[in-house]
Amino acid sequence: MSFEWPWQYNFPPFFTLQPNVDTRQKQLAAWCSLTLSYCRHHKLYTVDIMEAQESPVFNNKNIDRKLSTDAILTVFEELRKKGNLEWLDKNKTRCLVMWRRPEEWGKLIYHWVSKNAMVNTVFTLYELANGDDTESEEFHGLEEWMLIRSLQALQTDGKAEIITMDDGKGVKFF
Amino acid sequence: MGNIFGRKRRTRVTEQDRAVLQLKQQRDKLKQYQKRISLQLEKERNLAKQLLKDGKKEKALLLLKKKRYQDQLLDKTENQISNLERMCQDIEFAQIEMKVIEGLKVGNDCLKSLHEAMSIEDVERIMEETQEAIQYQRELDEMLAGSLTQEDDDAVLAELEALTQGALDLPEVPVESLPEVPDVTKEELEPHPERQRKKQKEMLAA
Repeated sequence: MSFEWPWQYNFPPFFTLQPNVDTRQKQLAAWCSLTLSYCRHHKLYTVDIMEAQESPVFNNKNIDRKLSTDAILTVFEELRKKGNLEWLDKNKTRCLVMWRRPEEWGKLIYHWVSKNAMVNTVFTLYELANGDDTESEEFHGLEEWMLIRSLQALQTDGKAEIITMDDGKGVKFF
Repeated sequence: MGNIFGRKRRTRVTEQDRAVLQLKQQRDKLKQYQKRISLQLEKERNLAKQLLKDGKKEKALLLLKKKRYQDQLLDKTENQISNLERMCQDIEFAQIEMKVIEGLKVGNDCLKSLHEAMSIEDVERIMEETQEAIQYQRELDEMLAGSLTQEDDDAVLAELEALTQGALDLPEVPVESLPEVPDVTKEELEPHPERQRKKQKEMLAA
């Protein structure tokens, strides 16, 4: 299944931030949803600004347009305000993209666990994200930081508990 | 905050859970190792093919020997993984068994305390008392009933007698058949259907 680009993607002015406030708002919203759906489609969890510039999202070779670094930063800042993005460093070169909130991930994982009658069992994080059993699940291949956050969300609900050991972490579901 | 979580964790995650987790982590590591080796094997197989194509038979042979060794390693890893998994399952099952025993123990204690509250002597005493009460009630009944119905009994019996007598007084059902009604006049007026049929039969016979 290939990624479906929105119509704006082939619309050259889309790649220049618009001066008009209203238009700009709409444009940013469209960029936000495009970024999130692109990341969701390709299962991207961490994005590097330098790489982002080269990625097809912000660089449409067909119409020879690319979004400037400043504009990308603006889009990312907008995403951060919405709670979908977090900077990993102060210089804003790498960031975490959350196209699904930790609570939602937690829900998905917990649903899978209870569907398989695995409540009250211990799991390793590797097993959850990379194990053979979760191959067909959406959370397969989830990056560890995201997994831990979703498990923490479950932990606050009292549905899981993260176990920290010398080497690596595990989780027990309740 | 860590403290709160720490305390909470201690209550819900048992030592066994930690042991299981450790085993599972070990298993994960083995699985990763397995993956690595199988990828390597695939690569070496291709490489050996390439070497054979290039005519370097010696090297290919050497590579295949190495591959064989790694194959064995893979088998061993597989065994170890299944060992670990069996161990995990054993622990989990033992935990379940423990819970079952705990459940049985609770049930047993409950039953015991109930029995303590209800000793055999008590039951005997209560049953005896009940029996006595029933006996007493019966005596009371008899006393009350005896004094009242001596006359009533007579009256009831008399009435019953009268009823049965009345039923016997009915005339008997006559046994002999009814006298035959002369049907000559009727036959003249309208032909009797049965007779007609008889006549027809006679005609057919003739």
